[in-house]
Amino acid sequence: MLGLAAISLILASSVAIGVWGVRAARSTPDFLVASRSIVPGWNALAIAGEYVSAASVLGLAGLLVKNGVGAMWYAVGFTAGYVLVAALAAGPMRRSGAYTVPDFAEYRLGSPRIRRMCGLVVLVIMLLYLLPQFKAAGVVLELVSGIPYWIGVVGAGLVVSSTIAVGGMRSATYVQAFHYLVKLAFIAGPAVFLIALAGRDRREAALDLSADPDWSRPLLDLDGSGHPLLATISVLVATTLGAMGLPHVVMRFHTVAGARAARRVAVSVIVLLSMFYLWPIVYGLLGRVTTPEPEETDVVPLLVPGAILPGTAGAVLTALVAAGAFAAFLSTSSGLLLALAGGLSHDLFGGSLSRLRLGVVVGTALAVALSLPAADVDINVLVGWAFAVAASTFCPLLTLGIWWRGLTAAGATAGLLVGACTSTGAALASVVLDLEPGVVSVLLAQPALWTVPLAFLVMAAASRPGDVPDWAGEAVLRLHVPGRYSSGDTGAIPRARRGQRAPQGSLERVDASGETG
Amino acid sequence: MNQRVRVTSPQTRLALRRRSDATRRLNRLAGQPQVDRSAIDLADAERALHRQRRLAVRTAAALLCALAALLTAAVLTPGRLGWAVLFFAPYPVLLALAAFHVRRAERIESEYGEGD
Repeated sequence: MLGLAAISLILASSVAIGVWGVRAARSTPDFLVASRSIVPGWNALAIAGEYVSAASVLGLAGLLVKNGVGAMWYAVGFTAGYVLVAALAAGPMRRSGAYTVPDFAEYRLGSPRIRRMCGLVVLVIMLLYLLPQFKAAGVVLELVSGIPYWIGVVGAGLVVSSTIAVGGMRSATYVQAFHYLVKLAFIAGPAVFLIALAGRDRREAALDLSADPDWSRPLLDLDGSGHPLLATISVLVATTLGAMGLPHVVMRFHTVAGARAARRVAVSVIVLLSMFYLWPIVYGLLGRVTTPEPEETDVVPLLVPGAILPGTAGAVLTALVAAGAFAAFLSTSSGLLLALAGGLSHDLFGGSLSRLRLGVVVGTALAVALSLPAADVDINVLVGWAFAVAASTFCPLLTLGIWWRGLTAAGATAGLLVGACTSTGAALASVVLDLEPGVVSVLLAQPALWTVPLAFLVMAAASRPGDVPDWAGEAVLRLHVPGRYSSGDTGAIPRARRGQRAPQGSLERVDASGETG
Repeated sequence: MNQRVRVTSPQTRLALRRRSDATRRLNRLAGQPQVDRSAIDLADAERALHRQRRLAVRTAAALLCALAALLTAAVLTPGRLGWAVLFFAPYPVLLALAAFHVRRAERIESEYGEGD
């Protein structure tokens, strides 16, 4: 009951902050990106708050108990992704003036069709990412209060969708920033107590290497496949490159003032993530000693306090951790739902604000319905797939679109198709086929290692130089040059030049520069 | 009786409507009046792009090397030291890489124009 009270408190304060943060979300830009008036510090906190999901708060520690200390490579990859975000995407994406990845695709490639296609990919990634969040809400509520799993999931869906539909991104920013602080405090605080109160025997047992050499080896083995190095590398590729292609992360960079601020926000996020990822280790190592064979790996952090401290003290700490986990669910799922709603209404149906609100409701319903049968899948497995799909689709699209003017709409379409089909297909196959553990099973369960290079290759090869439109060079340059050329927002490229590939366009450009480029 | 009527095929109407949709969307994205294109030095912009691209490629390569080195170090270091490499070492390295990149990128930008 204590846990339920703590969760209610988090919920109540989130709603209060959300209401305070609402400044009458009127237009689509207001709703989606808070009209770009959010201060960088808040933004970094909000990005970290949204990014540290149930996979990090609950899933990492559970995976550490189940598969070994190598599970922490997930955390390394989640953080390393932001180096790439800062280096490749944040600044130019902000300058593009596009709200979402599909917006960017249309800006850069000038094709409404590719926008709709990106909208579909957004749906797939966001649903794969939302499922485990709702699963986490369900198992946490079930554990602390005995509410049946499905009631917890449906209730969580109602709460999240109603707060978002009312407030949009503006309230989400403050709520998510608050949630990062809650998560850090409610995971780190109890962890310090647990280390202190665990007793010398447990502490020594937690750091004991000799018990199981497979477990204590710092590599990530997937279900005893026998190829831990391969699996580790593939997970690293998926998480590092996937972070760059996550639509809800990309969308966040449009809420800062400019390109420089966007890059700096990415660096701050690395700091915030590093501070957080120290704590799942504590729960994982202690969980290994206190609950070596948990029935449900994803609730390990909730079981550890009770196992170490029976009685009221343990119950209080459990309640705190449960509140932290629920905050993780709330912030991540609201960010994901915004991106999903954007994908549904803004990109697929070209919609108004009311459609956007409808999109939130529809997205929640889809995610809730899908997470009911997904109760048995590990959180990190699902999140890993979301990253793998993002890495195989939007990562090549953004990288090539931002840095290479030769990318064409046809090439991007082919690459997106191949990347989306191979990555989702491989993940599905690994569930359906039930293969012998081995190289093939690793490459299907963690497909990023081959699907990402394949998507890059197809995108580059299918972009024929003859098809590159005349304005492509300018569209790329606009992303990289500060000042009057692209002050804040880049203007739309004139319709007349967008539609044609006439040679006079290039002449005009030479004139404009005053010299030959 | 003499009123003129424009006759178009359904295909053309569809195409026209699609084009006007796209224009509206692009205008909405723009949010600001058109920047005067003659104000930019395209040759300069080109150089800025090349330098930024070289920097980005270098940072990505450095990240690849850093992750490979961390992985090797974690596997080869025996015992608890290997754990420490995995648990604590990556984050300062990643932070340094990102901070270094941002500083260099901002310096390049400041050479090619004012503002953001």
